[in-house]
Amino acid sequence: MGEFLSAVGDVLSSESTYLSGWRFACALAFVALGEWVAERAGTINVSVEGAMLAGAFAAVVGGDLTGSIWVGLLFAVVAGLLVVMIQAHLSHNLTVNQFVVGLTINILVAGTASYLNSSLSPASPKAHVFEVPGLVEIPVLGPALFGQPWPLYLLYPLIPIMWWVVYRTRWGLEVRAAGENPQAADVSSVNVNARRRQAIYVAGITSGLGGGYLLLGWIGRFEDAIVGGQGFIAIAAVYFGGWTLRGTMFGCLLFGSVNSFRISLPGIGYQINSEMLSALPYVLTILVLAIFSKRIREPQSLAQPFVRGLR
Amino acid sequence: MVTLQPAAAELLGITKRFGAVVACSNVDLKLRKGEIHGILGENGAGKSTLMKVLIGLALPDAGSILIHGKPSRIKDPAEAASLGIGMVHQHFSLVEPLTVWENVILGEQARLSASSARRRVKEISERYGLEIDPNDRVFNLSAGLRQRVEIIKCLRRDPGIVVLDEPTAVLTPQESEQLFRVLRRVVERDNKAVALVSHKLDEVLSATDRITIMRAGEVVERLNTSEADAPSLARAMLGRPVSLRSKGIALGHIEIDEGLAEEGGGSESEEPGILPVLRISGASAKGRDGRVLLDSLSLEVRPGEIVGVAGVEGNGQAALGDVMSSLLRLQSGTVTVGGKQIPTGKPGAMARAGVAVIPSDRHESGCVLNMSVAENLTLVSPPRSSLGLGILDRKARRSQAEILMAQFAVQASGPEAPMWSLSGGNQQRVLLARELSGNPKVLVASQPTRGLDVGGIEYVSNRIRQAAEEGVGVLLISTELEEVLDIAERIVILFRGGIVGEMPRSGVDIERLGLLMSGAAAATAAGAAAC
Amino acid sequence: MLNRLLRRSAAEEASDGSSGLASQQRLQSASGVLFIYLVCIVAALVISALVVWGTGGSWSSVLSSLLDGSIRRPGRWGKTIGEAIPLLLVALGMIINLKAGLVNIGQEGQLYVGAAFATYVGTFMSGPGVLVLIVILLAGILGGAIWAGIASVLRYWRNIPEVFSTLLLVFVANQAVGYGLKNTRLLLDPTPDTGNRNLISDQLAEGTRLPRLELFGNEFPVSVFVALLLAVSVSLVMRRTIVGFRLQMLGSGPRAAHRAGVSDRLYGGLSLAVSGAFCGLAGAFMLTGGDFGNYRLTPGFPVNIGWEGLLVALMARSQPILSVIAAFVFAALRTGAGFLAATGVDSEITKVVQALLVLALLIPPAILYVRDRRRTLAAAKERT
Repeated sequence: MGEFLSAVGDVLSSESTYLSGWRFACALAFVALGEWVAERAGTINVSVEGAMLAGAFAAVVGGDLTGSIWVGLLFAVVAGLLVVMIQAHLSHNLTVNQFVVGLTINILVAGTASYLNSSLSPASPKAHVFEVPGLVEIPVLGPALFGQPWPLYLLYPLIPIMWWVVYRTRWGLEVRAAGENPQAADVSSVNVNARRRQAIYVAGITSGLGGGYLLLGWIGRFEDAIVGGQGFIAIAAVYFGGWTLRGTMFGCLLFGSVNSFRISLPGIGYQINSEMLSALPYVLTILVLAIFSKRIREPQSLAQPFVRGLR
Repeated sequence: MVTLQPAAAELLGITKRFGAVVACSNVDLKLRKGEIHGILGENGAGKSTLMKVLIGLALPDAGSILIHGKPSRIKDPAEAASLGIGMVHQHFSLVEPLTVWENVILGEQARLSASSARRRVKEISERYGLEIDPNDRVFNLSAGLRQRVEIIKCLRRDPGIVVLDEPTAVLTPQESEQLFRVLRRVVERDNKAVALVSHKLDEVLSATDRITIMRAGEVVERLNTSEADAPSLARAMLGRPVSLRSKGIALGHIEIDEGLAEEGGGSESEEPGILPVLRISGASAKGRDGRVLLDSLSLEVRPGEIVGVAGVEGNGQAALGDVMSSLLRLQSGTVTVGGKQIPTGKPGAMARAGVAVIPSDRHESGCVLNMSVAENLTLVSPPRSSLGLGILDRKARRSQAEILMAQFAVQASGPEAPMWSLSGGNQQRVLLARELSGNPKVLVASQPTRGLDVGGIEYVSNRIRQAAEEGVGVLLISTELEEVLDIAERIVILFRGGIVGEMPRSGVDIERLGLLMSGAAAATAAGAAAC
Repeated sequence: MLNRLLRRSAAEEASDGSSGLASQQRLQSASGVLFIYLVCIVAALVISALVVWGTGGSWSSVLSSLLDGSIRRPGRWGKTIGEAIPLLLVALGMIINLKAGLVNIGQEGQLYVGAAFATYVGTFMSGPGVLVLIVILLAGILGGAIWAGIASVLRYWRNIPEVFSTLLLVFVANQAVGYGLKNTRLLLDPTPDTGNRNLISDQLAEGTRLPRLELFGNEFPVSVFVALLLAVSVSLVMRRTIVGFRLQMLGSGPRAAHRAGVSDRLYGGLSLAVSGAFCGLAGAFMLTGGDFGNYRLTPGFPVNIGWEGLLVALMARSQPILSVIAAFVFAALRTGAGFLAATGVDSEITKVVQALLVLALLIPPAILYVRDRRRTLAAAKERT
């Protein structure tokens, strides 16, 4: 017990823990941010995993072609958007089961990216680390929050913007209405399926960005396992957060930290069961859902397609 | 003589077909400013279709529309809104988790501004006496208050023409009167034109200035309300003889047989000797969100008796129906059928105990829309093959289905027709056929005639009466007071999940019934007793 | 077969052919339906060809080597059958769930756990070969059923959507089995001289492997007969038995089913567990059949069979008999992929083709469903 506590102490005082925890959490947060909007509009958008992967691959292609990180990120956004457009139209024009569509898209993207990667083998420069003057000096947390590759900083303004869009604009109001009661929204002349599709587009954009950040910020080359289920963890974070933005972001932070422990604990000399740590985000999500499931209020029409005139 | 106001909307020669069915045939309608115009007709007479044409939900096949004298083509609700036509919907179009003001402005184009929206809601609610807190979340509101939100939502755009489609379905008699007072204010102060679509004679007679009566897609009569009386309206509306009793339901007209109306008399419930076939005692249940659904509800039904559960929608009707369909488990209390206590919420338990149900959500708990008529007729006990092993006897299923379809006059392309391809009336016949063919002890009918035409209403009510005559104990749950008064022999009143009063049909006191339904009764009743 | 496909096309995914839709209506539009299907499939193939062409490959040589690898070369179609067996089993499990209105997407994990259970028994138990083999298979079934059973319990006890829990459990399964493969008391091969070959289980003893048949120079395990038998059984159970009828009732109208006495806990919970059992059996067959991992459990042992089996069920429109064909097609793409190296085209292209084919087959029924339903409802509404 004492040993465990000292291990925890060591971890909590190690800058590298925060650095990597924050870095993982931010990758998740990009995706979860968009997924949160999509779920508020009524879609469980499993294809964010694919959108993230497509974003990562497009980013390396963009970076390879132009050498510019900005172009890489732009490519990532476009790729993410293209991927979720398939999802949006199949599940909200044609009412194909959204999970089925999402999983198929994920396999399609995984295959396409892997295929193109081995045919083209692109490589991109990495984004440089930008240390925000002054703020980076904050002890322990400074480097984690303000000493990261610069694409990470795109996330910071995005969170309040997304909150504002969902809670303070007409579009956001209509998105929430579409997720809760599409029939009522429809008679109030809200275009339900358009809002739902647009919300999915948002998820595609942020997921693509998340994939781009992952690749350009850290690796610079594409690997098949670069995303490795992080899209799914982001969906878990939205559930975990009970469909609130605050909760979702907290979920990302938690799952990101768990992920970083897996890496940082052995680094500072502790033998740890890495399988257990890798499984922890998933087990944690299941436990949280099991404990709070009766209290969480999900969007009433989550994962139900809307066809005017049905019901 | 009333001075003629200019017309706000004129519909000229409107014809609308759906496939082979002519819903409206060459209909003319003039809505004048400063008038409440009643559009009266039974279900399926074409009045809803006509309103759909006016608010842009349906495009007419022929005819033209003049709005304030200008020819207009209304292709969608947004267009109608821009022309100043507003609609208060029959079923609520509110998003429950959103606040009142968010709901009110949902669907508009302008930039979102919470403070101005709240202010506007306040203004309207003060102007018309529709008191409401703009920051309340809709799921906390009662049915009556929700309708206020609907009306505010409609009036917010300051429409010149307001359409209300069967607005009193969810209201207590007192709330209905209040609504009509609001409408009167809307008409007199703002010189708006109001169209009130209804199948209820009484409310059209009391609330409107002018009446257009529709039957089978055509206008059969136009008259000033001051010149109208109930019998002539009824004749014009129906145009054919129907049994006196179902007429009451179809017309929303309550006739009290004065001869039988003895206050407190005919207390059949005390009759000794006959054991109740259904006894619910102390039933309490809460929803997932902790809301009280049923609150120590107790009632009894004896064999051959029809007990009507009256009440305003949202006071536990759905939960009571769900308990009897084994869809809801009670937290406390018991249900006894034929002397045996039946576990609640256990799949199939009620059905096996002999409880037949015509549920109000017939598309969800009544039938499986994706399955065939034959399959739907044998949901509870599909015929087993003599081969054993739980193999289906599909031949027997088909022949059983054919017999039942003939017996209950179900119109479908055959036993294999998918349930969703049937009309509402025929779906209801399939349900009746299945439930009544199983020799039930108890029949629970929730809103059994909702959405049916006069023929359908007549058929269903007769079947219910017939079942009672054969000794089945019938529990009729309905928010249509006329239906309860028409079919039931004894009436219990449901309010906030509990039974708050009881009276025999023969001694019904409408005033007191209404008060009980609105929950204002406990005090009043006590006061009356003290006198 | 085609007729059934057409008749079903407008029905919802979960409902069965026996629901008997008005066939007259269907036949009228049969040519239209066929056209939509053709367009979609051709589009999928054209897009695949374009991807190959765009990266400098030749689609005709790709096609040719796919055919070589999957059926034309000696011994290859036996191999394809070997890969089709677990795909079919996974698909059958998925179909049982879809009919009951459940979406289990954790087959990959259920299969892996099943295979791990089978390996554990197979490497520790001794006795007569046939007996051990039977126990191995039962252990696989049990493992898969338990893993899916967790999702069942979560679904019916704590209301957690099974889509979500089954998916999360895939990742947990990967780590759990991975842990087992690091531990000699669990799954790791204890033989000292394989010390370098970490993370691999001991090999199954000769006597405990599935017999393999040889036919015209093609070899495949006898489990193919079990899989075919199960496909026919699932089809019969769904269409001819009360259990099947009740499962479908649960899938298309849960409230009506509950009232009619179909317990969602019992039927839904069991159908999830049964589908897990199918995956576990698939895992056990993979282990004992010889076409995967050389009778050893390895990291990544399921090699996407779980994910692809799910797609097989979708591609077959939830029809057990059609999934036999779909499973063979998918298996052919897998075995054919091995021969692509010679053409210079990466074998991942087959995944692209698979996913595109599934999408192509998902779209037409959806178009028809929405169109039909809208029409009928519009007509029905006005008739009341």
